[in-house]
Amino acid sequence: MRLTLKHLLCLCLGIVASAALSEEFNEELDLRPLPDGKVAAWFSFSTLLKGATPRDTKTLGAEDESQLYTLFPLALGQILREYAVTELHLTLNAGKWNYDRWGYPDESGVGTGAELWAWMGENGPVSVDSRWRGLRNALAGLFCASLGSLDEQRTTSPVLTFQPEGFLPNRTASYQLRHATLPSEHVCTENLTPFLKLLPCKSLSGIASLLNPHMLLDADWHGLGVHVRYVEGAGVELRLASQAVLDPVRISREKRRDWSFSALFDRRIEQACPVARSSVIRVWLPQNETYAIIPSPTAMDSTYATYVVSEVEKPLDVAIRWPEEQNFEYPTAIKPQTHISVHRTLQGASQHAGRLALSVTNNHDTELQAGYLETLPWLLQFYLHTLHAEIDGVRRDDLVKLISYTPPLPHVQPALLQAIVTLPPKRTMQLTMDVVKPFLAYTEHPPDAQRGWDLPPAVFVPFASQNGSQAGSYPQQSAVCSTRMYTPVLLVDLATPDFSMPYNVIIMSCTLIALIFGMVFNLLTRRFVVVRVDEKAP
Amino acid sequence: MDFTVTFPALVAGRLVLAFTPLTQYLRDDHLLSSPLTSYARLQEGVYLFKHGIDPYSGSTFRHSPLLLSLFSTIAPLNEITAPLLWTASDALAAWSLVHIWRARQNSTSTSRDSLIVALYLLNPYTFLPSLGLSTSSFENALCLLSLMLACRKQASAAILTFAILVQLSLSSILLLLPLLLLLISNPTSQLASPHFLKADVWRILPLAGRFAAYSLLLSGAATLVCGNFSWLGNTWGASLTLPDLTPNPGLWWYFFTEMFDHFRAFFLMVFSVHLLIYVVPFCIKFQHDSLYACFLLLGVLSIFKAYPTLSDPGLFLSMLSLFPETFPYLHHPIVTALLHLHAALLLPLFHYLWLTQGTGNANFFYASTLVFGMANGSALLDSIWAGMRLALGEVQEGYEVMQE
Repeated sequence: MRLTLKHLLCLCLGIVASAALSEEFNEELDLRPLPDGKVAAWFSFSTLLKGATPRDTKTLGAEDESQLYTLFPLALGQILREYAVTELHLTLNAGKWNYDRWGYPDESGVGTGAELWAWMGENGPVSVDSRWRGLRNALAGLFCASLGSLDEQRTTSPVLTFQPEGFLPNRTASYQLRHATLPSEHVCTENLTPFLKLLPCKSLSGIASLLNPHMLLDADWHGLGVHVRYVEGAGVELRLASQAVLDPVRISREKRRDWSFSALFDRRIEQACPVARSSVIRVWLPQNETYAIIPSPTAMDSTYATYVVSEVEKPLDVAIRWPEEQNFEYPTAIKPQTHISVHRTLQGASQHAGRLALSVTNNHDTELQAGYLETLPWLLQFYLHTLHAEIDGVRRDDLVKLISYTPPLPHVQPALLQAIVTLPPKRTMQLTMDVVKPFLAYTEHPPDAQRGWDLPPAVFVPFASQNGSQAGSYPQQSAVCSTRMYTPVLLVDLATPDFSMPYNVIIMSCTLIALIFGMVFNLLTRRFVVVRVDEKAP
Repeated sequence: MDFTVTFPALVAGRLVLAFTPLTQYLRDDHLLSSPLTSYARLQEGVYLFKHGIDPYSGSTFRHSPLLLSLFSTIAPLNEITAPLLWTASDALAAWSLVHIWRARQNSTSTSRDSLIVALYLLNPYTFLPSLGLSTSSFENALCLLSLMLACRKQASAAILTFAILVQLSLSSILLLLPLLLLLISNPTSQLASPHFLKADVWRILPLAGRFAAYSLLLSGAATLVCGNFSWLGNTWGASLTLPDLTPNPGLWWYFFTEMFDHFRAFFLMVFSVHLLIYVVPFCIKFQHDSLYACFLLLGVLSIFKAYPTLSDPGLFLSMLSLFPETFPYLHHPIVTALLHLHAALLLPLFHYLWLTQGTGNANFFYASTLVFGMANGSALLDSIWAGMRLALGEVQEGYEVMQE
């Protein structure tokens, strides 16, 4: 009975909405077994607002058209229209994505912490920067995340690395990018709950019912993403994505890598989401191994099995077993799964200077190039003249091409370095930069000052070398393009003053100054006289 | 020993030291180079300038545009030229010091020449910053050169050199008044016979105008080099607003690290204005010997300037050798020497313990900067005392000189 009521309600709303805009909701779940026994799960919920266009910045001062959505979340729609955001990407991740073992993620934004970037039109009555401020505060409220801290000290505009994923409506005004990361932010239940609220079926039915906070936040890596883009001819697309790397071996008692929905998520799909136009689960099948998959999929080929949730029998509990395997042996050596591997470290024990070192390995046998983006907050200032590249101990500064550099300004802007590195086949390049750590006033330190400060990840975008003639022989290299690779975040340890000393320092320094000042003027102003100290003297 | 032997020998010795790998470890030292004088920051600025990025758009580079244009064009910086340039600047400073001494003694050659050169070139407070390639060595050299030219009454050259010095370090402007007085008075020692200024004091006005013109010209050149006025805030502004709280042997950095935000502007104003207070009293009290007023103001600067390095007290202590007539009247030279010894040992030790070893905290280093401030203060006070006490000469047994 409840179901019919809901259906009826949806129908009514749907009729009302169809007068304004038609909407389409698709959900998808990708499950991919990884070489180290883990399972990568990728949930994608996309809502397409057909025929809609992002708000024109010129209309910002005027009354906005009324917003009436059935499936598209109104809370987010209002934010997008209030600040005239054309394209928006917000990711909240926890953990370090291990590219070498897990390969490229389904969703490229896997930098630890919060990352927000948006393309916004210029030339409106409200400036891009003030809209950016409003946007991050609104999103902070919506997702219960500290996105308000993504202020000017963390905001940059790295246009080379963060190209729009959709289209920018061809209006007279140009577009601007704003990008900021907050590596110390961690995704938690309080972020997942508002995220689920944006889904038309919440986590009550359909694929979203697998999003169980207990299991998801226990994963080795987990992240949430909100992606809004404009697709010309289609409309505005909102994609809510959730990724997780789950470890069935850790959960299982027998140390087997067999997994099922009930084992991984502690939930099954009891019913399909009634408003979803399509609801598909794809399970990537193990290659060259004996396995069993239940229940039988709707469709299957050599690479993956597909389940259409509305068609299969419910409750749905997909499971894969490796019947011949007693317990899972962790592979000791896994061939790197990506074209390049990047490791970034901060060297040096002292609290006033150090060295930022990156080691970039080209795992391929052709020459590759990679865009290198470093956004360092002013808490760590590097000397650009000390940027050196070394391969096998030989200085190769010619392989690094500087594209742009914005120096840091304390309390105002972070440093932005964009470069292109050329990586010879099967070689490791060592990139080093000398850094200095600034000294902060005691009021600028956070309450847990000794913990240190998180540095945002560096981003690499590998692409096939343009002058490499063999580029065509590697078909997967075209897929390399626009896949951003994030390095893990770093912790920088800044020198701290004594926090209990302000009065003492003011008193002692002022005493010394007053002492010297007083004695100088004492000497200068009083007359010198000769006095007789001995009575007997003449 | 003969000056023509000792001077080249000492410079050659310094040059050998400058090429040793030891200098690598001195370059990042906070005692030897401040953010305004650091060699790494200078290199960074030159690098950015050559790559078409405005070095003053960031906060790393705080050197004068004059140094920027010098090192990005005619004197490229590398591991060969830098030690040569810095040694040359020290040699120039020592040579100027000797010529100030000769002008003061009104003779062409004296027996103390070698001693004075040695006191400058072997003073660890001046030669360590120079080995660490701190541009404060250039400031010292320009300061001594302009004083020497002023002693020789070469007004234009002295004022131009001084205008360049002010471009490099704004706080040196304190010396303007005594320098101009020195130009119109006698450089020989008058401490023993104080008298009113014999020359017409209004003669300094055209000289001050000339200084203003040179400064405007140099500022204009600096603006041309940068293409905008952003250098003003990053170079001169830094010594007034203290944007970089990197530790140094001075008094400002920890005071403003620990300062409450709402009092910061007030105390910045107090600290800057406090420096100006000393100028006129020193010039009035030592109107008979303006060089001594310059010397005392350098002592004030070495204690109270915004970004001091060890070369500032080094210059003051080396200049002490110009005034041997005051030595018999020093009150407490032993105390001063011991305070300096104490601070010289504690400063690098506590800096290392705090920032590298991690076993000490900021208060340790702060305490040693206070001791260093006391050492400099004690030297300054004793010099003031001796400079004035000298006028009374020897007193008879049973009598003592006091202040009313």
